[in-house]
Amino acid sequence: MASVSEMYDVTWEEMRDKLRKWREDNHRNSEQIVDVGEELINEHASKLGDDIWIIYEQVMIAALDCSRDDLAWTCLQELKRQFPGSQRVKRLAGMRLEALEKYEDANKQYDSILQDDPTNTAARKRKISILKAQGKSAEAIRELNEYLEQFVGDQEAWHELSELYINEHDYGKAAFCLEELMMTNPHNHLYCEQYAEVKYTQGGLENLELSRKYFAQALKLNNRNMRALFGLYMSASHIAASPKVNATVKKANVKYATWATNQINRAYQLAGRGTKENKCSVKAVEEMLESITMS
Amino acid sequence: MSIKLTTQAYCKMLLHAAKYPHCAVNGLLVAEKQKEKKKDSHSTPILCVDCIPLFHGTLALAPMLEVALTLIDTWCKENKYVIAGYYQANERTKDFRPNQFAEKVGARIAENFSEAAMIMVDSTRFTMGCYEPILTIYDHHENKWKCRDCNADCFEDWCEAQKITSALLEGRSYESLIDFDNHLDDLRNDWTNPEINKSVLHLC
Repeated sequence: MASVSEMYDVTWEEMRDKLRKWREDNHRNSEQIVDVGEELINEHASKLGDDIWIIYEQVMIAALDCSRDDLAWTCLQELKRQFPGSQRVKRLAGMRLEALEKYEDANKQYDSILQDDPTNTAARKRKISILKAQGKSAEAIRELNEYLEQFVGDQEAWHELSELYINEHDYGKAAFCLEELMMTNPHNHLYCEQYAEVKYTQGGLENLELSRKYFAQALKLNNRNMRALFGLYMSASHIAASPKVNATVKKANVKYATWATNQINRAYQLAGRGTKENKCSVKAVEEMLESITMS
Repeated sequence: MSIKLTTQAYCKMLLHAAKYPHCAVNGLLVAEKQKEKKKDSHSTPILCVDCIPLFHGTLALAPMLEVALTLIDTWCKENKYVIAGYYQANERTKDFRPNQFAEKVGARIAENFSEAAMIMVDSTRFTMGCYEPILTIYDHHENKWKCRDCNADCFEDWCEAQKITSALLEGRSYESLIDFDNHLDDLRNDWTNPEINKSVLHLC
């Protein structure tokens, strides 16, 4: 089988840089990481210098995702040898046990980390992940709430909690989590847009109006967020169609929905040069426009 | 009353699940619109000819699902299709029962198409070789979802489906599969997946 460097005509430096980019962006493209990382480790280990340790960690986690226990074990041994007694490596050993579904042993591993260092957030989060993997959502939610009382600034945790709540259809609490995230990240258009989606799903006129405002806010922060644009259209047209609103509100929302439809239309024109699928989407959008102007 | 799947429909469903093994995924199944209702049409199985992968990750939010249903509905009308089913693969491998969300979407589809089916993917039996069908099919009976065993009879041609799905999985075709989420990230991404359709045809 051809090597990655042969197939894609890349140098080992480019492979190393790609791995760094995936690390920084937190991509979970595990198969690619394993392909690139394994070759880098096997062929170019000596050239990587100190980078090799973080690459071992990255490749190990990706290997667990791909059921490559052989590769994960190799990486783990190298890291154990270089960093004996490290909590970070202990956590990786725990993750390997998780991948093998040996949850009791994994928990023991994490408990031992927490005995030495009760503030070790990584170990606590892994324990919560185990609950999630076992389908114990209620317990995971409880533990995560307790964790956040102590570590109130952990954004990853707030986001995870919002997802857990969404899966339990507890949209009110999910919204609360996203509000925390929006407060600390006012320029993040994704949090705004997700909050709007949750509010929309909750339903009811007040929530729809809130959702429309936050879709609009997301668009202000990033005018190319298609979800926000579609969301603005959907929420505004639902509000306009509601029997509970007065004529002024209805008129305003028809205006918002029309504006959104035109923007959507424009976006599709820019994207597709008359491909068949795009023609259908454009047609659907035109129908959407007709439906609001008629009501 | 029962639905059958073509190779293309089954293939794309499994490729979608394979592309995001760590996420829940869902999507729609479409069938060709029947010309007129024959007297004993319940004996002719509905053939699901294609599959539209929708989302991965957090499934249970309404707005984008509504957008997808609207756009796909228009596309169906253009192509004389009808939305005939919904599939879902849960985030946890061992969790292959339909949840509240799946039932809701299924019911919504059943409003427009009485013989709609809900399909759950059983990831515990998902292998590269695809030696057995890994779906559980649910039919809508009197507001309840009734489980039906899925075997080779549920496919237009199981041998072909098995062979081609396995080949595409080996070839990592799932890397180029586009779902509606990918489309929303970049409108140029085509959720009808013409390239994968071509690959399926090519292997037939």
